[in-house]
This record gives sequence, C-alpha cells and structure tokens, in this order.
Amino acid sequence: MSTTYDRLVDLLVDGFAVDRAAIRPDVTFEELEMDSLFLVELLLVIQSEFGVKISDDAAVPTDTIAHAVALVDNETAAPAS
Amino acid sequence: MTDRSVAVTGLGLVTAAGLGTDATWEGVLRGESAGARDDRLAGLPVDIACAVPGLVPARHVDRRSVLIHDRFVQLAIVAAREAVADAGLDPRTWDGARVGVVVGCGLGGVSTWETQHRRLLERGPEAVSALLVPMLVPNMAAGHLAMDLRALGPNLVTATACASGGTALGTAARLLQDGTCDIVVAGGSEAGVSPLMVTGFAQMGALSRRTEEPAAASRPFDADRDGFVIGEGSGMLVLERTADAEARGATVRARLVGHGASADAHHVTAPDPEGAGALRAMEAALGQAGVSGRDIDHVNAHGTSTPLNDAVEAAVLGRLLGDGATVTSTKGVLGHTLGAAGAIEAALTVLCVERSTVPPTANLRRQDPAVELDVVAGAPREQKVELAMSNSFGFGGQNAVLVFASP
Repeated sequence: MSTTYDRLVDLLVDGFAVDRAAIRPDVTFEELEMDSLFLVELLLVIQSEFGVKISDDAAVPTDTIAHAVALVDNETAAPAS
Repeated sequence: MTDRSVAVTGLGLVTAAGLGTDATWEGVLRGESAGARDDRLAGLPVDIACAVPGLVPARHVDRRSVLIHDRFVQLAIVAAREAVADAGLDPRTWDGARVGVVVGCGLGGVSTWETQHRRLLERGPEAVSALLVPMLVPNMAAGHLAMDLRALGPNLVTATACASGGTALGTAARLLQDGTCDIVVAGGSEAGVSPLMVTGFAQMGALSRRTEEPAAASRPFDADRDGFVIGEGSGMLVLERTADAEARGATVRARLVGHGASADAHHVTAPDPEGAGALRAMEAALGQAGVSGRDIDHVNAHGTSTPLNDAVEAAVLGRLLGDGATVTSTKGVLGHTLGAAGAIEAALTVLCVERSTVPPTANLRRQDPAVELDVVAGAPREQKVELAMSNSFGFGGQNAVLVFASP
C-alpha cells in the first residue's frame, strides 16, 4: 500500500476516531460514519498535512478511501512548476 | 387546569464537585471549595477556577465527541442523560414531538472560538476548522440534546448571562403550562474557563484575586470576599405538569410553583443599588406561587462572592424574608458557572426540599456585618424546607427567580 494510504489511515484514526480495523481502500466514507461535514473537515486536514490543494467538493461521503488517496497522489504527482 | 404547578421528576448535575447528582450533592454538603489552579489559565494574573474533574468525552459522551462538541455541549449531554434516566423516562419510547428542550447558556463555545482564532492568525484561513461554527454557537447545547434524546418539540437556548439557567427553567414551565409540551428537559450549561474569557472577567474586576489560596477565594457573604471564582458545569431538570407526573407514577422531587423575571434597566454590570430589579423578580415569583416572602424557608442565593452582588442581594432578602429562613450560596463550593448557575442551583434547591438539608456556604468565616441573614456556614443544617427560592441575576440587569415547593 502507498504511503499516502497509510498516512490517510492514521489521520482518520487519530483525528476522526475511525476504527482502524474498519478501514480498507474500497470502504466508503459513509460506511465509516463520515458525513459531509466531517468530509469537508478531512479535506482541510489533508490539504494541510500533505501540502496539496484540493477543492472542498472533491469527495463526497459515497466515495471510497482509494478515491481520496488518488486525489492526493494526483496532486503530488503534478509538476511542481 | 387548576393545578398549574410543574413537577421536577429528574435531576442531572455535572459540576466541579464531580460527575453526577450524588457527587455534586456530597461535594456541596462537605462545603470545601473546588477552587484550584487551572492549567488552561497558566501564566494569567487570575489562573484559578472550579473545573469539572474527570470528564472523558470519548467515554462519557461519544467516541467522536471531541470532534463535534465544545465542552459546554459535552457537559449538557452528560447532565441531560442523567436527568432523563433519573425521571424514569426512555427517549426510545417517548412521544418525542411532545418533548421540549430549553438550555441556558451565557457564552457558548468560547474555547473553540479562541483555538480557531489563534489558528487563523498563526496559520491562515486554510487552517480554520469546518466544524468551528457548529461547535461554538450557543444554541448547539439544545440542538445536540434534541439529537441525543430524540426530543422533537420546541428547542431553544436562553441567554440572560448569569441568569440564563433560571430563565430556561421559567421558560420551560410556560411551555408545560400552556400545553405546548408534555415533558421539557431544561437547565443550563457553561464551559467558560478559557484564557480570553477569564481575562475579560478579571479585567472588569469581577474575579477574586486570591490566587495564592484558590480554595479560599470564593467566599459568598464573607466580609473578606473580593470577587467570584469562575466555574464550569451543567445542571438539567426534567419538568412535567404535576398531574401528568403523578398519573404516570413518577416520583415528584419537588414542584416549581413560581418563576419571576425582571430587568434592572440600570447599568451594564452593576446591580441596581437598591436591588429594585431583583426584588421585582422575587415578588413576581412569589406572587405566582401565591405566597409571601415570610413563607419562604430557604433561599439558594445568587451569592457570587462579589462585594456588590452579595451586599445588594442580602439587603433585599433581609427585607423580604421572615424569621427562621436560611440562606446559602453553593457558589462557595462550585464557583460561578455563569449561564449554568441558575439551573445547577435550582437542582440543589430541589434536593434541599427533598432531603431537608441545607448545604453550607464554603469559606464563610466572618460574615459581612451588613449581611443580616441566617447564612448557613461550616456544616450542613437539617431543616424542614417546604418552600424554597433560587435567585439568579445576570450582567445586563437580567433577573430570574424560581420558587420550589415540597410535593
């Protein structure tokens, strides 16, 4: 698994009281009881933690963890200049 | 409806004396002030408070509580759950549409406000939490109780500063008396022990400067009092029409038989020097109860430990009360919990009625000679209390007085 995934799992566990055992790449935020308000907060935290720019509607509760990982990876893979 | 009285059928308390009604009652009976140095106030000129000990949000409220609840909401939820269980009610089966919630709160989520404001200044707008607004607005105390208890009726927060809790209970009584609700969970909650708030109160000269002896700082009616000690906590009461409570076989702890409110219209922070506003609220509450001041057995005073409040309140009570009436201020033990105080003290007044025991006023060693009242000090006093009054007066000159009677 990618480093991004592992860091995201830590963020969810430490910052959002999500059960580590319940997190898988294909699980949705909704299934982790992360509603839209929590998700907006998570996207803010991700931007600060990973130093990336993501719009606040880039993910919805029915999206998976893998989707969020891809959001981060796409941004970090983008050319710096 | 002939009997317009409202029954108190459940109590919940979270205070500096502990989590729960029993811990709080035992604490106020011991009469030892909870005033202590508070880490949240480290480095400030006034760094003492009466803090609620041992609240673990993930255990006592919800595993995600710290993410969505400011402390004033956490305290409210814990107290309200206790009160509802104490009343023998089950939110899973009650008719939620007939259940109202009224919570007094003077400040709201000030700690959240301060934390997030610091982030804005230090790290910019991107660092501010999306949960800031839903955590800090004061109405969330009632909003979260609706969700937690499935209380679907009228849901509101009263803000009359240090009278907010008393105002909430008076408002709740009206919702029952006019038939809007069958049950109201009502009280107050406040968590104002934050650097900015405490500094603000200190700058206006309201707080005790006895920081070297924090447990001796809150001393209502004492000749050497020099201000209040800020506290935090929540008090919640379950109210029902007395006839309904009796019909379902509930234990009526006491009846709320009168509530009065008034405005001083005098000064932003100082009470009317003659106590005219306070007197009007007391007379309104007594009038509604159909009794006179001479009939009152006991008063849980506002008694903040500020020079001005205690002098004015004592003068009014001296004119109003008859021989044999006792007075206490539980703020000696619990500090001044601002918007929660009226509700916490109402609950303690109910316990006085129920248990025929008056808690002592902590740190009352040399009673102010101008206070010509029988203020209970030193140890609890056994007393048959059939009629008791609870006073709350807020900055802004807002006053709320409640009269309770034995069932």
